[in-house]
Amino acid sequence: MFSNKRFVRQLQAVFIGLLATVSLNAQEIKIADPASVVVIVNRDSNDISFMDIKSHKIVGKVFLGNNVNPHMAMMSSDGRWVVTGGTRANKAYIIDVATLTLKKEIAVGFAPEHLAFSPDGRYYYQGNPDGDSISVIDMVSMSVIKTIEGLAEPLNITFTPDGSKAYVANYGSHWVGVIDVSRHELLKKIHVGSAPALAALDPERYLGGIKGVSNVSISNDGRYLYAADGDLGIVTVIDSREDKVIKKIQVGADPWRAYMSHDGRYAVTANNGDETISIIDTQVNEVVATLEAGPEMMGINFAADKAFVISSTTGFLYVYDMKSLKAAGRIKIGHVQIETSTTDTADAKLYLASSTDNSVYIIDAKTEKVERVANVGLYPWGTHILDSKDNYCH
Amino acid sequence: MIRIAKARPSWCHLPFNQPLGFGLQRSLLIAALVTCSSQALAAGDDREALLKRIVELEAKISRMDSIERRLRELETTAVLSDPETYVSKVEIFVDDDGVEHPTKQPGSHSVVTYQRERVYRRQTINEKIEDALSGDASSRVQVGVDAAITMQYANQQDGDGGDADGEFYQLASMDLYFTAELAKNTIFYADIVGLSGTTPGSEIGGLTDINGYTARLRENDDQLNDLSLREAWLQTQLFDQQLSLTIGRIDLTSFFDGNAVANDETSQFLSDALVNNPMLGLSENGAGMAGVYDPKNGFTVKLGYQQSDSTATNLSDSLFQMAEVGYQFNPFGTGVGNYRAWYRSNNNDNGGSLSGYGLSLDQKVSAGITVFGRYGEAETLAGDDDEFFSGGVQFSDGFGFNPNDVWGLGFANTVLGNDDEETLFEGYYTMSLAERLALSFHLTYIEEEPDGADDFSYLVPGFRLQASY
Repeated sequence: MFSNKRFVRQLQAVFIGLLATVSLNAQEIKIADPASVVVIVNRDSNDISFMDIKSHKIVGKVFLGNNVNPHMAMMSSDGRWVVTGGTRANKAYIIDVATLTLKKEIAVGFAPEHLAFSPDGRYYYQGNPDGDSISVIDMVSMSVIKTIEGLAEPLNITFTPDGSKAYVANYGSHWVGVIDVSRHELLKKIHVGSAPALAALDPERYLGGIKGVSNVSISNDGRYLYAADGDLGIVTVIDSREDKVIKKIQVGADPWRAYMSHDGRYAVTANNGDETISIIDTQVNEVVATLEAGPEMMGINFAADKAFVISSTTGFLYVYDMKSLKAAGRIKIGHVQIETSTTDTADAKLYLASSTDNSVYIIDAKTEKVERVANVGLYPWGTHILDSKDNYCH
Repeated sequence: MIRIAKARPSWCHLPFNQPLGFGLQRSLLIAALVTCSSQALAAGDDREALLKRIVELEAKISRMDSIERRLRELETTAVLSDPETYVSKVEIFVDDDGVEHPTKQPGSHSVVTYQRERVYRRQTINEKIEDALSGDASSRVQVGVDAAITMQYANQQDGDGGDADGEFYQLASMDLYFTAELAKNTIFYADIVGLSGTTPGSEIGGLTDINGYTARLRENDDQLNDLSLREAWLQTQLFDQQLSLTIGRIDLTSFFDGNAVANDETSQFLSDALVNNPMLGLSENGAGMAGVYDPKNGFTVKLGYQQSDSTATNLSDSLFQMAEVGYQFNPFGTGVGNYRAWYRSNNNDNGGSLSGYGLSLDQKVSAGITVFGRYGEAETLAGDDDEFFSGGVQFSDGFGFNPNDVWGLGFANTVLGNDDEETLFEGYYTMSLAERLALSFHLTYIEEEPDGADDFSYLVPGFRLQASY
């Protein structure tokens, strides 16, 4: 039994504690609007930078630890958390966006790289390509609740809009994994294509290494999936209702992945084998244009009715008019290595990570003017904006 | 690093003075401390149970120490954890006093400098080795080889007593390429070609080469056993790599009169009439220069010159000049099309110059079907112009037995100013046996109508085995 005096004293203590907490939190709020920042992944300084979209100033950095080497970052749909996989620390990191503090480190599988949130933000799927697994992290308990095994270099994860299924691109094979999100289990493997009959004559190509499926891109209505296969030079179209292959489209050599235009009309593949892009009309699922591009393409962004193709080692963005489906010049960023980019939600500007000069380049999609923001961190590897339609990694 | 050095009860045997570098270990120790303290304060009569619990905790901590040690060992042996050092180019701003600023300041000016950076990038040994090998490879001269064997048989269809009738011909061709990067955006390239054997063209005597491998190289038609320098040039790219300049011994047909589906005797049509436009009038490669302006927006402009006669004693007497404009677009959404128009002029033996012009187009009509066409006219000393046109179609992307197979059908018609005429049809099927090995089957029909002589025609089946490495 508590005496009244003791109870009142305890209540006072709790009240003072709460006040102190509220006061402390109020002081620590650094980002009030998560949509106001660009998240920058710095691989070599092992931190995540947050850049204000309006002022282009770095408003804060969250250090993850030496030798963490984060790969990709993503913000939860409510903007509360930013998560990243530390490739060389075998851990996932959860950052509180408002206070810019590291909330949790979670041990995951081997060499975590790309990741995805379920649409409701409840689950964070962390792919571990070297461990052939996905770590399922419950964002409520902030712990790994399951590890999905049996994959082959899972490189990217794509959730359906209703969050019932997730599709896993396996770069170490020629199949797409279908995950039942309610049970976090691998339901089936969809075979995207076979090596040609003459493959036996070319063992070096087919046995020396594998360039399978790097990403499964989803149509805006969630009905169709587009899986590019590097070795086979095809994009396989999958009907997500039946999880069935409905078409295989021949594209250029060694397509990296299919990038969906924001209106969903086109899927564009970056073909690193022959340095072209293939533009697929998603209404008829046919290639309607194959255009010359550059080497080592790492990503494609869409804005102002244009496609911007990142040619990493040349330091160029190749530009294409998506109305006339023809080349529209290229933008020279510099003698630098450029990585990946995100597009703002207004489809007006691109935020391009440039690793070798520790910068982010802001490209006005309409005027194609380029602005450099230097010293964002060491070796910036990727960028992310909440609700952007071009949030991807390598 | 944390060291805990507070006074503690004598029975609480925790390793308080040990450095604690492991997060979990530290948490457990703190938990143990809290437990120890609260229980010691609470009673003191349950010391035996507490001691037992502490011993268990000590064992766990010891095990964690062991795991931490093993982890460190693993990190230092299986992966390279040493800080990585590299030099990066940075832009700084220097004011009048010579003070550096990371951002633009009043009175400062931009300076590009180089700075060493030390980073914590953990790399696996494999990654290290790959980096070292790729760095080494990029600084070396790159060598490439193209080898081909063509076998053809000539069967006369019309006319009598042709030398080629019933004869087999085999040609072995080998191209050795050298490429070296001399500076940023500047390369040196050389192509040495060796030819050995015969082609039907030497005995059929048509207006164009029936085997494109020998085009612009052949010095006599009877027997080939030559080693030639096909090209050797320097190329540099200027103005954000929009303008490329190539100078040296060049093959102007590599720069002009291009075509996406009828411009390569190593993978497409074999007949030279379906590789280049004969109205170009180039009989051999030579010293020259080519400039290509390509802003990557569909338009291209090209200018070039070349020595057209290797026996000439100076460039002025054998100057071959050429210009071309090209445009790529997607007419009516049917597919990508490339359209080119060129004009050329070259000196002649009479001290004047002869000119010619031509068109070359290729247009995709669906994902795997591309049509092409060429047209050209050239002035002659005789008076009437030479005239040429060709056309055809190529099928790819799934129209063959294997996804990478390609096949095509083409025809070409050449009429000279003296009324000599040649009509040629060719069909081919190229099987991609492996990434670097292709086998093609060709069937060519050639009909010659020489002015003042009997017409004759040949059917020439053959195959081509092409290896590229």
